[in-house]
Amino acid sequence: MKTKKLFTLSNAVTKENIKEVMQQAIALELATIPTYLSTYYSINRAQDQDKLYAKIHAQLSQSGERTATEIDELTQELKLDVLVYSNKSAALIMSVVIEEMLHLALACNVKQAVCQTAPDLMGIGKGLSFPTQLDGHIPEFQINAAKLSLKQLTTFLQIESPEPFVDPYADKLLQDTIDYQTIGRLYEMIIKCVAEDFPGPYDYRPQLLPPDSPERPRPYYSQNSMNTVHYDREHNPQFANGEDSGGLVGVYDAHSAIDALERIIDQGEGRSKFKQHTLIWGEDKMPVPMEVVDGKVTFWEGDYDDAGKEIAHFAKFLEAYSLGGYYQEKFRNIQGLDDFFSYFVYDTDANPRTADYVASGNQALALASELGNAVFAYILLMIEACYYKDESTQYDLFIFGIHKSMIWLLSGVGNQINQYTYSKDNKAYKGALTFEPFSFEKSFLRPKAQIMNLVDQLAKADPTNWGWAIKSENYFPSLPDVGLDYTIEADMPKVPGTPYTHHH
Amino acid sequence: MSELTTKELHVCMGLNSCKNAGYSGNNDCAGKGDCSTAVGHPCHTLNACKGQGGCGIFGTTEELCHPGENECRYQGSCGVPILSSRFMAQGPNKGLSVWQLARIRFEEKRNQNGEPFGEAPQQYGPSEDYVNTVRGTTGVDYSSCGQSGSRSCSYINNPTDRKAAANQRVLKMEQESAQKLPETLSNCDCKNDGN
Repeated sequence: MKTKKLFTLSNAVTKENIKEVMQQAIALELATIPTYLSTYYSINRAQDQDKLYAKIHAQLSQSGERTATEIDELTQELKLDVLVYSNKSAALIMSVVIEEMLHLALACNVKQAVCQTAPDLMGIGKGLSFPTQLDGHIPEFQINAAKLSLKQLTTFLQIESPEPFVDPYADKLLQDTIDYQTIGRLYEMIIKCVAEDFPGPYDYRPQLLPPDSPERPRPYYSQNSMNTVHYDREHNPQFANGEDSGGLVGVYDAHSAIDALERIIDQGEGRSKFKQHTLIWGEDKMPVPMEVVDGKVTFWEGDYDDAGKEIAHFAKFLEAYSLGGYYQEKFRNIQGLDDFFSYFVYDTDANPRTADYVASGNQALALASELGNAVFAYILLMIEACYYKDESTQYDLFIFGIHKSMIWLLSGVGNQINQYTYSKDNKAYKGALTFEPFSFEKSFLRPKAQIMNLVDQLAKADPTNWGWAIKSENYFPSLPDVGLDYTIEADMPKVPGTPYTHHH
Repeated sequence: MSELTTKELHVCMGLNSCKNAGYSGNNDCAGKGDCSTAVGHPCHTLNACKGQGGCGIFGTTEELCHPGENECRYQGSCGVPILSSRFMAQGPNKGLSVWQLARIRFEEKRNQNGEPFGEAPQQYGPSEDYVNTVRGTTGVDYSSCGQSGSRSCSYINNPTDRKAAANQRVLKMEQESAQKLPETLSNCDCKNDGN
């Protein structure tokens, strides 16, 4: 499948092109979110442990190599390998997604303040399709929307790599590349330009910031949720993100702009001045993993963010990669078992398309895919609208719209769509979000009305699984109604005594 | 008449203001109600009214410091009822009991207003078994949202041992939370804008 370039990265950042470069940086941050989410939703992170035990037990029993006691003990051990790893890898990915959302907002704030221009997220969304690539890297590498695997985690490592690397498959990839840049080096060029040419103070324009009330602060960025929690082998909760790993920053001058940009570098790549793990290729042309001892890896000082409290994105993915490889090898060496990842990863196609679902004749699957794309586009619209609104309206949009959409609506579709199966090229796959562009401009209806139309159609096509979507007004019906011109209509379902009003 | 207009709405056991205002309607006084009367909902942003948001699973540090004290519809941090096993997922109090914080907030308000209250039916809040019993249900999952799995579980294979181990682990969290409650409140009193 031919890859489609998301943008063309500049070789230098100047005061003349910084507006375009910041838009490119925003596109880069935005592109990571569906990439990581597509993998996150492929993971069955909390499956029925008794069914899993029974499956593994039956497989081990067939070989006749072990006593009943040995089979019981080994089954329990392997069951925990699957349950703990699947939950942990999902939590690690979600913890990065949350911070990529933060990075997106930080980059948008910088563009709004330094360039005096609002971010164009909808424009980026219209050009984003998979497979894609991040221009500017040498070598360029293909990025798929795909299920969890060592190969997919390798792509994640390439995206977050703190150091330049030589792709072992470079001779098979695209050749029309420009100078090599890591994401961090792009931001370092921007920082240099801001420091030299944009000292500030900048004229006020709305940025994504919580209402500043000393009596009762109302922040809306949260580093952790239950989806970043995972459990160790004794089922004790573990938290993937630190609570003080940095949040939103208001950009008013060069100092605060650089603070925002450095947060992005620190959380993504770690502290390069200390010893840190980097992307090194092995003889098998796969990344060299961290050493795994007793089911754990050892981090180095530079693997953490600038505060030294949270593992940077690259190290999180290298941990998931290292542990995944360790368990895959372990399962491979035990007769009768399947591939390790097959026990908890839905068998989805890479870079699926709604057209595939339509061609298969599965109407509900096709509609679910359309709905997922519409919700993702609507999230971009709501974020973009924040850059035209006051703090109070931003808060409403976030709490009523973006949080609900990320936690419930997009997740609702992402976690349900893999219950559908379809055939393509005589092979059966599970459904997955496609993250294809969704154009609200094709209809005269407001975007929310278009979403509600899809919900209605889906509920009719598959009332068993989607009836709730129209019956419960707290989900889709209570989304804020944001127009493509950023107007907001208050059409939330009403409850006596608690009318909903927006402050335009 | 709907639940909205006939009952005082609160998010969990021991958080009622009046006699007979608990779920079953047979409690002696404030603070002794057996379960939530708020319109049940599973999670963040899905609450119907002011004061009906639970807490702990999704939300900011600030929101998690004020379980059941949301200002408006859809601003609730998490689902109701708040099981004793639910812990906070964010902020300096992460890993500690949500219900105990909700209860101490309730007691603070009552004390500030000079209003009496009684002991909650269960010291550390309701277990899932308890809620099922009170509500006349069997095996219903009241643990609320989140994709990471049950907050009250263990991986032991034998179901009986598994449940015992899970209960033991939850009890340990509850006891630790009780011990750290002053620290939990102190953490919330510090200005924390979540950034």
